[in-house]
Amino acid sequence: MKLARRLCSLLLSLLVLSAAVFWIARLAPGDPLVSYYGQRAERMTPEQRAREEARLGLDAPIHVQYVRWLRNALHGDLGVSFKYKRDVVDVIRGRVSNTLLLGGVGFALIFSMALGLGLLCARFEGRPLDKILCKLGTLSSCIPEFWLSLLLILIFSVYLRVLPSSGAWSVDGGGAADRLRHLILPMTVVVTGHLWYYAYMIRNRLLEEVRADYVLLARSTGLGRRRVLLRHCLRNALPSYLSIMAISVPHIMGGTYVVETVFSYPGIGTLCYESARYQDYDLLMVLCLLSGAVVIVCNMLAQAINEHIDPRVRAAAAERAEADGHG
Amino acid sequence: MCETLLDVRGLCHSFPLGAGRYLRAVDGVSFRIRKGEIFGLVGESGSGKSTVARCVMNILRPQAGSILYRGVDVCDPAQFRANRRMLQTERQIIFQDSSSSLDQRMKVADIIAEPLAVNHIVPPRGSLRAEAAFQLRYVGMDPAYLDRYPPELSGGQRQRVAIARALTMEPSLLVADEPIAALDVSIQAQIINLFRHLQAEHGFTFLFIAHDLAVVRYLCDRVGVLYRGKLVEMAPTKELFDRPLHPYTKALLSAIPIPDPRRERARTRFHFDEAAFDRTGGFVQVSPEHFVLGGKEAEP
Amino acid sequence: MDERFALVGLCPAAEQAAPKGRRPGKRPALAAAFLALMVLGCLLFPLLLTKDPASMDLSNYAREPDGTFWFGTDTMGRDIFAMIWSGGRVSLSIGFLATALSTVIAVAVGAVSGLAPRWLDALIMRLTDILLSIPSLLVIILLQAALGRANIASLSLVIGATGWMSVARVVRTEVRQLRTSEYVAAARCMGGGTFHILRRHLAPNFLASIMFMVVMNVRGAIVAESTLSFMGAGLPLDTVSWGSMLSLAENALTAGAWWIVLIPGLFLVATLLAVTELGEWLRRSANRGQSNL
Repeated sequence: MKLARRLCSLLLSLLVLSAAVFWIARLAPGDPLVSYYGQRAERMTPEQRAREEARLGLDAPIHVQYVRWLRNALHGDLGVSFKYKRDVVDVIRGRVSNTLLLGGVGFALIFSMALGLGLLCARFEGRPLDKILCKLGTLSSCIPEFWLSLLLILIFSVYLRVLPSSGAWSVDGGGAADRLRHLILPMTVVVTGHLWYYAYMIRNRLLEEVRADYVLLARSTGLGRRRVLLRHCLRNALPSYLSIMAISVPHIMGGTYVVETVFSYPGIGTLCYESARYQDYDLLMVLCLLSGAVVIVCNMLAQAINEHIDPRVRAAAAERAEADGHG
Repeated sequence: MCETLLDVRGLCHSFPLGAGRYLRAVDGVSFRIRKGEIFGLVGESGSGKSTVARCVMNILRPQAGSILYRGVDVCDPAQFRANRRMLQTERQIIFQDSSSSLDQRMKVADIIAEPLAVNHIVPPRGSLRAEAAFQLRYVGMDPAYLDRYPPELSGGQRQRVAIARALTMEPSLLVADEPIAALDVSIQAQIINLFRHLQAEHGFTFLFIAHDLAVVRYLCDRVGVLYRGKLVEMAPTKELFDRPLHPYTKALLSAIPIPDPRRERARTRFHFDEAAFDRTGGFVQVSPEHFVLGGKEAEP
Repeated sequence: MDERFALVGLCPAAEQAAPKGRRPGKRPALAAAFLALMVLGCLLFPLLLTKDPASMDLSNYAREPDGTFWFGTDTMGRDIFAMIWSGGRVSLSIGFLATALSTVIAVAVGAVSGLAPRWLDALIMRLTDILLSIPSLLVIILLQAALGRANIASLSLVIGATGWMSVARVVRTEVRQLRTSEYVAAARCMGGGTFHILRRHLAPNFLASIMFMVVMNVRGAIVAESTLSFMGAGLPLDTVSWGSMLSLAENALTAGAWWIVLIPGLFLVATLLAVTELGEWLRRSANRGQSNL
């Protein structure tokens, strides 16, 4: 019942999103034929252009195009990428694992390191360690991702020549070690770009908890600082942290596209950027819907986590359910 | 005899609980307050006291019933608009929690002078600040507090500031919604004495809401007892405390501790059975000033 | 008069300890001074300098910093020192313009949502949540593509239009909380209209809580501009900004010209850091309790 309702709202949101993206993308003044034919498009005669536009279905009014797209999409035909001249799903399938690798591992690293850093800072609040970490964190949050990427490339690829500056693997292919070498720099940027935001969040959340009276009580019963922090404070801080992390999945995964672009990493991010820039309509639509779905699912996940872990929210939900049942 | 200042007739208000359910907070409450008297409204928490106060002050809009102030129905939008200025300057309210009823970002001087500034009244003592200083002194605080912010004051001082703010308008009707409930007992006594003193000086009419019976007995001329949104009994203070008729009132009065151990031990406590509460009966007059709900219990 | 108060107890002010003022937290003097210097420099230097930041001179292609070109030249032969100041002008003004726009939208949406009936509030907040959870850079690229060739105004518009959601949420929460508070009820009782309440009570209270976020939005807008321009989706090469200067960095990397990457970036990071320090200082007034640990 609840699941069905959520599924409905998911589908409805995706429908609205698809319509919005369709309209905005087609309002853009670019020329989609350029992305299909490249330079050749500029040399076409008007008749040729009209014929090609008709062939690609670009001559109809926008709403007709949208309905046609929707009908095809429901039949499983999501269209063809103008640039790659292949089925959109194929284009994405080739890229998605790269982004999942970069974003997924990055997410796991951010999640665990932020927790550790946050705990460390909260435990040593106001001491030199906390102050140094906070300063470093502030500094790291002020460095734009693209510039950090450039800096790292400058140091490790141009001057030291120890790490590759672009791509996900070498041309001749070199197995897992080679992939790993290609991942180091982009991963460093992804992690530094987001780490402090979450570490600082958990630090502040813990500091709020530390000021609660139950901590005083626990301390007065003789529990050690460490135990109080880990057993009591963390437990109270964790639900909000988990739900925020769930919401942040699309940010971290989608946020990799700056990094992917700088490192020419063949992932979804580069694809998104290209398709938005070069009017690759069908590709753009699918990518937007994909990220929209991820966003919405993650939000639902966050809410579910909240309800599941936090007894207050759970109680409120139960009360609501009861009221629904009776009313 | 005395002129009626406030006439509440059949007041009803309910809050939506969601899912189509409603909480009847106030259910057909009627009472009159005469000019210059102190009328106390007592009841346990959740009995609808504050809702009555908020309806009287137009903060809430009652679903049924009317509230006549000087013969003007304040619940009627047209009549309210026509008499807006009179209503807003003559009626003032003091809330229970002074930490939330004072804007923390305003200085004491600005808080006290706010009603004057809002209504563009020329301050009778020269400047707004002089007026604020006068009122502050009037409620027993040093004018040195004028430039402080509410969080820097103690609870009792904040409540005095709230009282001073209400007094700047020289109100005819002062509604106090549990003004002492959030204070220490020693401060409560000070504030109650302040109220008595101010009422004697100003002669304003006072709707005093409390759950503390001892305070009501000390301060009020007449008392109404509210239970679950119903007015169960209304009588002059002495009469009510000497000869309570409704079983709820009896139970309530019997719960007052006596500051004498021997008599305290001998005190018999009535128990009031909630299930037996009959909310359908009418309000019956048992003596010229004494009303009780139901009437059956009215037999002595 | 004093005897009359014997009964009610006059509270002499002297009893009270001195008001607990804000703990004199370290003021970000350095950050403020640096920002002032940057703003002043960006305003004045382009007027004083004789070199035209946009003039290309291929005979001075990618020169290292020396006496004539203090910060060197880029791969199009432009003087980086001159570009820093005129580019800073563009970057900073986009930061401020975009933030001003996003703040206005945020306060308007937040106040409407906070004062609106429940269903409208729920609707607005649901939409805000959805907008908030979409990575904004993608939306910016899309919108900018729809608006056509970017200039300062259009870029500020796009960045501002995508940056208001989190502030709006805070404003809405604050307004909703404040409007049920008793001092607002008291103000209403004494005859204060909606405007009076908004101006005297609501605005001062929620402004304090969004100040930090607004300052952080300035930072976000500057980062967004530079990232977009760097990726080639923002300002074109001939509109000099810190981001568009860095869009030449990939050529510079192959040429090994570190100054083209390093110098504009350092200015960018230093400015962002100063803005952050300022924001943190604004935030520090809260969360001052004693640790129980």
